[in-house]
Amino acid sequence: MTPLGRFILATLCGLVLAGLVHVATVLAIPYLAAGNAMARARATLANDTSVLVHAAETGGPAEAAEGWLPPQDPAVAVGVCAYDLDDGPVRITAETGPLLETIALHGRNGAYYAITDQAAVRGTVELVIMTRRQFDEALATADEDERNRDVRIIAPSRQGFVSVRVLAALPSQQAQANEAARSVSCTIDGPDE
Amino acid sequence: MLTEKVALLAPGRAASPGPRHPARPRLLRGFARLRRVGTVGLVLYALALGAVLGLASANWATRGRYPFGGVVLNAWTAWPKIGSRDADPYVRAIHARTGEIPLALGEGLLLTALTDDAGRRLDPSCRYRVAGATPPARAWTLSVERRGHAKHTAKDAASPAPQAGSAPPPPRTGFTSTEVLRDRDGRFSVIVSPAVRPGNWLPMPEGDGSIRLVLRLYDTPVAASTGVLEREGVPSITREDCP
Repeated sequence: MTPLGRFILATLCGLVLAGLVHVATVLAIPYLAAGNAMARARATLANDTSVLVHAAETGGPAEAAEGWLPPQDPAVAVGVCAYDLDDGPVRITAETGPLLETIALHGRNGAYYAITDQAAVRGTVELVIMTRRQFDEALATADEDERNRDVRIIAPSRQGFVSVRVLAALPSQQAQANEAARSVSCTIDGPDE
Repeated sequence: MLTEKVALLAPGRAASPGPRHPARPRLLRGFARLRRVGTVGLVLYALALGAVLGLASANWATRGRYPFGGVVLNAWTAWPKIGSRDADPYVRAIHARTGEIPLALGEGLLLTALTDDAGRRLDPSCRYRVAGATPPARAWTLSVERRGHAKHTAKDAASPAPQAGSAPPPPRTGFTSTEVLRDRDGRFSVIVSPAVRPGNWLPMPEGDGSIRLVLRLYDTPVAASTGVLEREGVPSITREDCP
């Protein structure tokens, strides 16, 4: 083979290798990233209520919030609340108001469940997140005479976070939206419930 | 150097065989030598090329804007899959790097536009009219974003809150479906322009970097099946005036 041929062969090998490196890097980024929403939300694990991470700023100056999110909808307040199912099922309770509110559950691989305030019963959205095993246990120990009205959701992984978005449709609703995004409670469900 | 050496050595040895034979072993031996040194160099070259190109292209593809997977509707691109569990690896990598919390399937739908209806890139010095109707949704918001603008607003937010009346209010960055002014048919028309305009005026954000229009539909049936999306259903973006 001529030197030129060998050089071309080496270049082709390099390009194939570049493709492999590219694919491997893209696939590895979610596992290596330290600044993803999941890792940032973990800081809120000890809280009983959600933490405001993006404040609505439709009228007047925005409230202080943890600003790690990339540019968001200016009219929406975003709150997050991390959970860890190792300590037991997690109960999410949100008091809905007149504002549009959406709640999404995110696992390691993205969102797996979402609900809006239209699903609220008497002004409250209540969800219980559990693992498959906890769900089976709850079914096995359930009292047959008592009807359980909880919305039970089986999480794909033990760790994740809940995001709450509240839309301030008018500038005057800014404070109310921030308050709603901050007030979703996420507590560990008692074993006797 | 190497070939020279080979050439010097060769004549002494290749004396006995015929006049045509010696040339080939000499050449072959030369190549064998070259190959031994050159192969290492070429392998290193291939490895370096692979590493640099691979890492650079991966970095470029996951910088911030989704490379593919959108549904194109005139100037708009809808991103129905970014919040679902079957999001593609690029979307996941982008979210991991930026910390984005995407809109989940049941929450809403994100639409972005980088060009006007004629396919020209949005120019910060021009005036645009975003008009028409939106796909069905309980609420929507239309906002304009500029790359490199986020830091500026973050700095503003960090500074102490201005006294009432002492500083002008921050410029508007978006409209919601509730506050936008509509005509008799319920259609709206938002003007994105650097200069003040009557009606629904959305100021062009300051700073440098490309402009992006973002339409977010909240609590929409469209998110479940993008087949509902129609080209006529999205607002038109027309360039009106350019200095």
